[in-house]
Amino acid sequence: MEILRLLIDYTSAFVLPAIIVGFPLYGMIKKVRVYEEFVEGAKEGFGVAVMIIPYLIAILFAIGMFRASGALDFLTEGLRPVLGAIGIPSEVVPMGLIRPLTGSGSAAVVLDMIGQHGEDSILVKMAATMFGSTETTFYVIAVYFGAVNIRKTRHAVPAGLIADIFAMFVAVYIVLLLFG
Amino acid sequence: MLNYIWGGLIVFSLLFALTSDVRDMAEDTYANGRPLPVTVTLDGALDSEARRQSATVHATPAVFAEHFGTTAPDAPLVLDVELIQTKEGNQLRFDQNSDLPEPLRTMCDAHARDDDCRATLEGTPVGGAFVAAVAFAPVRWVKMNAIAAAALDFAETAVTIALGLIGGLGLWMGLLKIAEASGLLYSLVRLTQPLLRPLFPKIPEGHPAMGMIVLNLTANMLGLGNAATPLGIKAMQELQTLNPSEDTATDSMVMLLAMNTASVQIVPPVLLVAIMGLHVNQLFFSILITTALSLVVAIAAAKLLGRLRTYRRTNPETS
Repeated sequence: MEILRLLIDYTSAFVLPAIIVGFPLYGMIKKVRVYEEFVEGAKEGFGVAVMIIPYLIAILFAIGMFRASGALDFLTEGLRPVLGAIGIPSEVVPMGLIRPLTGSGSAAVVLDMIGQHGEDSILVKMAATMFGSTETTFYVIAVYFGAVNIRKTRHAVPAGLIADIFAMFVAVYIVLLLFG
Repeated sequence: MLNYIWGGLIVFSLLFALTSDVRDMAEDTYANGRPLPVTVTLDGALDSEARRQSATVHATPAVFAEHFGTTAPDAPLVLDVELIQTKEGNQLRFDQNSDLPEPLRTMCDAHARDDDCRATLEGTPVGGAFVAAVAFAPVRWVKMNAIAAAALDFAETAVTIALGLIGGLGLWMGLLKIAEASGLLYSLVRLTQPLLRPLFPKIPEGHPAMGMIVLNLTANMLGLGNAATPLGIKAMQELQTLNPSEDTATDSMVMLLAMNTASVQIVPPVLLVAIMGLHVNQLFFSILITTALSLVVAIAAAKLLGRLRTYRRTNPETS
């Protein structure tokens, strides 16, 4: 298993340089005018970034307001007894709530929990596993759909949230299983 | 759904902020209009000519708790302050960066301008220790102000984030253009098509979208967040060329998005490594198992939800 981990470590270190050098190199072999093609493609970068802006503003300001209002504290209090009944420790509830909303916010929650419970505590392991195994759903939706002007997202949000909720439960149970 | 969630976030922010502020008012959390009784100790004798003089404010846990109606803090309140003598009266200047206990922290933040948190000193300063009272300006509508400030703040953050993507986007779009022109992408598509075909049945055979999806998922797996986003965007653009509608997501787009939000990370994200340091190594397997299971659930959810009548009706590829 340790070997597998090392292998993955090495691959992830080499893959980027390999692509960044490999693509143009392969292009040169195939007699593509690599510089001209690169510049032609790179032009799009600016347009896409600008296109995302309205979507990101919409999502981020709503989430920012929600966090600032203290709503998360209310929700945590409300969910505590319900989730406690199925074995979710109340300390990790804020993490589960904030993870799909903001990346920096959930990083702050992990940091805060390390300060309170210590790096080796099982609660921190649960929160960190949640952090590492899911993405900031709403940010991904804003960026990916924003880039192609998709406003009607259909079942993307429910599908993403179902996976997030599921991951939260799995994270707790797996950590209990491995370290509990 | 996003409409309801978005609207809900905004409306609930207001409701929660309002509730919280009204509760603060009812419980008089900030003891508005009631000065806090303290003992002030001047460093040295009182110099009536000096505008600023350093001093220390003391309050016992019992007094502090009684005044603000909180549970008693563990240690007595001891704060370094500056005594400021003006014609209008005496003021205490609190150091904004010092470790203020709640609710003093919030009270200071509410009125702080330029890191300057001041309160009026009621009592006549003399050299050494003397009994006095500290009157803060009334604090109201803390959360209401906070949500308005947060809305503006985050709108700015959104632009910063988007503009920060330009460089990475440009680099990857350029590289992908070369890959497309050289035929590399098509080799990749042919190679991985059998594997991903069941998940994206609507993508025609040999279409570059499949190649972009593979690159995006690979970058995700290896924890290369900076590369994964541009690659994912490029994949979306390719999928959009197959989309008959301008503003409605296709099943393939929802699938790609679900797979990305479930995040197929084999390597823990950089941010987590930065926070946890080497401790993250212990979590390798718990993260791997969780992320793999949630990916399966995300794929199943995207597939199954797509079969619901509501979502079938809005499918741009069939209507």
